[in-house]
Amino acid sequence: MASTETHDTPGLFRRVMESEHGFLALVLIVLVVGLGLATDRFLTGSNAVAILHQSSLVLIVAVGMTLLLITAEVDISVGASLAFASCIVMATINATGSIALGALAGVAFGAGIGLINALVTTVLRVNSLIGTIAMMMMLNGGVYLFTREAVQNHHQLPLFPKIATGFIAGIPVPVLIAAVVAAVGWIALSRTRIGRLFLATGANPRATRLSGYSPERFKTVAFVVTGALVGLAAVVLASLLNAGQPTAGQGFELTVIAAVLLGGTSLMGGRGTVLGTILAVLILKVIDNGIILLRWNQDLQIIVPGIVLILALYMDQRKRGHHAG
Amino acid sequence: MPQSNKALRIVAANGEVALIVTLAVVIAVFSGLSEYFFTLRNLTNVLGQASIILLIATGVAVALIGGEVDLSVGSTVAAVAIPLIGIMNATGSLTLGIAGALALGLLIGAVNGYLSAYMRINSLIVTLGTLFLIRGGVYLYTGKRATADTAYLDSFFAIGNGRLFGILPYPAVIAGVVVIAVIWAMRHLRFGRRIYAAGGSAEVARLAGFDVARIKFACFIISALMATLASILLASRLGAAVHTAGDGYEFQAIAAVVLGGVSLAGGVGNILGVVLGVLILAFVSNGLGMINAPTEWQLVITGLVIIAAVALDSLKKRWR
Repeated sequence: MASTETHDTPGLFRRVMESEHGFLALVLIVLVVGLGLATDRFLTGSNAVAILHQSSLVLIVAVGMTLLLITAEVDISVGASLAFASCIVMATINATGSIALGALAGVAFGAGIGLINALVTTVLRVNSLIGTIAMMMMLNGGVYLFTREAVQNHHQLPLFPKIATGFIAGIPVPVLIAAVVAAVGWIALSRTRIGRLFLATGANPRATRLSGYSPERFKTVAFVVTGALVGLAAVVLASLLNAGQPTAGQGFELTVIAAVLLGGTSLMGGRGTVLGTILAVLILKVIDNGIILLRWNQDLQIIVPGIVLILALYMDQRKRGHHAG
Repeated sequence: MPQSNKALRIVAANGEVALIVTLAVVIAVFSGLSEYFFTLRNLTNVLGQASIILLIATGVAVALIGGEVDLSVGSTVAAVAIPLIGIMNATGSLTLGIAGALALGLLIGAVNGYLSAYMRINSLIVTLGTLFLIRGGVYLYTGKRATADTAYLDSFFAIGNGRLFGILPYPAVIAGVVVIAVIWAMRHLRFGRRIYAAGGSAEVARLAGFDVARIKFACFIISALMATLASILLASRLGAAVHTAGDGYEFQAIAAVVLGGVSLAGGVGNILGVVLGVLILAFVSNGLGMINAPTEWQLVITGLVIIAAVALDSLKKRWR
């Protein structure tokens, strides 16, 4: 359809467009340059820090979701689990006075939900899209059985708000956490044998089984890792809101999945990278930030990701079609 | 072809028997637990409440049978109510209002269908995108405020709140007629059979000479129009176009559809099963309310019912 157009483009441009992350990086650069020219408040150190800060919650969970989608499964319950876990974190710290125990409880809760999702998927053989929608419903109901209202901060530990607002060596703590999670995920997935086995699980479960590895086991690990990362994000969220909010995670699952898909991870499994996910989260958050700085209507923050997602997949499809043809 | 049809019918029939038994058990249990449950008033109320999700679920089921997913139905419910109420308030005409709603519904279905069927972008992603886009558009246009119906037409009020012969709520009548028409069309019209063919194996359907893209495009139109009908009923009940209306309906609908035995892989399923799936979830939710269980338990138990039903179904398939 547009083959003449791609044939006429210069070599470098085409190479960038067709490289795995070139297109996403290009989009990010265009956005940054464009917004830098549009408003002088964009290209400042404090704004860059703010964007990274806002990216961290989504990125922490998106790394797990990348792993999960690569094994050809999905988790719709992450938003509901995030809200529930943030209540658990706050309630535990209120009860014990220990931030470590609170964080541990949050991560354990998230990982436990991940394990249940994994068992429902691998043992009961329920399609993970449906199983985790059901889990989302149960958590949405369950959190109100656990607490009728937001769990307030009764412990007043001075260190607790610092998890979300503190800095280490000039870098915000949530950004540091997200960076470590992303780095570990990136290296594990692209540089280790185990990472390649995750990709194999999604690409061809039968071949994986014949090679002596259990696809179910890799899927289970991916669910539990995603759940544990949701718990970790819940610690940051509880600190950020200074409360456990039962309604905090609404729509979070869609944002995370949109970012992971935009990053080039395949819904069918077997293909995806953490680097792509990182670039996609940054693109979405730079757009969010730009909408605020340009004083556009903030409802655009819901519309633009939708357009970006469809556009990116369309470009991806065309690229792939070009390769095939 | 006739042989596979027969096999399909037997599988579907078996699934429906299990669903009917489940529904009977649910009704029997709650009838025992609450004296108010098995009354004409309550049963007809449930049918009225279930009709909105039933319409949406039927549309989603047609798309799924055609091998495509439509996640944008919840946002569509909110969007099409805006021209409905807006035009009615401006002109005082119910017909024009419904025409406006149908026009926007058609447009949404056409966009989803064009991107998915003709541009060949994965429909889960397309409709996840349009879910955001439409909801954002609704917020942008309304300023996150509900638009009240100020035309006060008796006919519009009756659509959502009236009862046929004073007994059966009109939403149940409307949904019933529409869904029976869809069941009939899926079984007996050539077009219905082609949706199964396209969803079962697009390649085989193509080789058989079907225009697969057109069939899939039509699935999105049907799904959007069903959401539009549901939106009209909901707007009449609420007496307004509410910007948050339909939030999460996509998940409720998919849950009921899968509970009703429609495969996520496409090509398999039966709208009658979807009706039973919707009714089971509606009666569970209503029954829990009747025995004064906190409404949150409804969500928890609905989730458990969905997992149990789908797990049983897939285990049954493995044993066979």
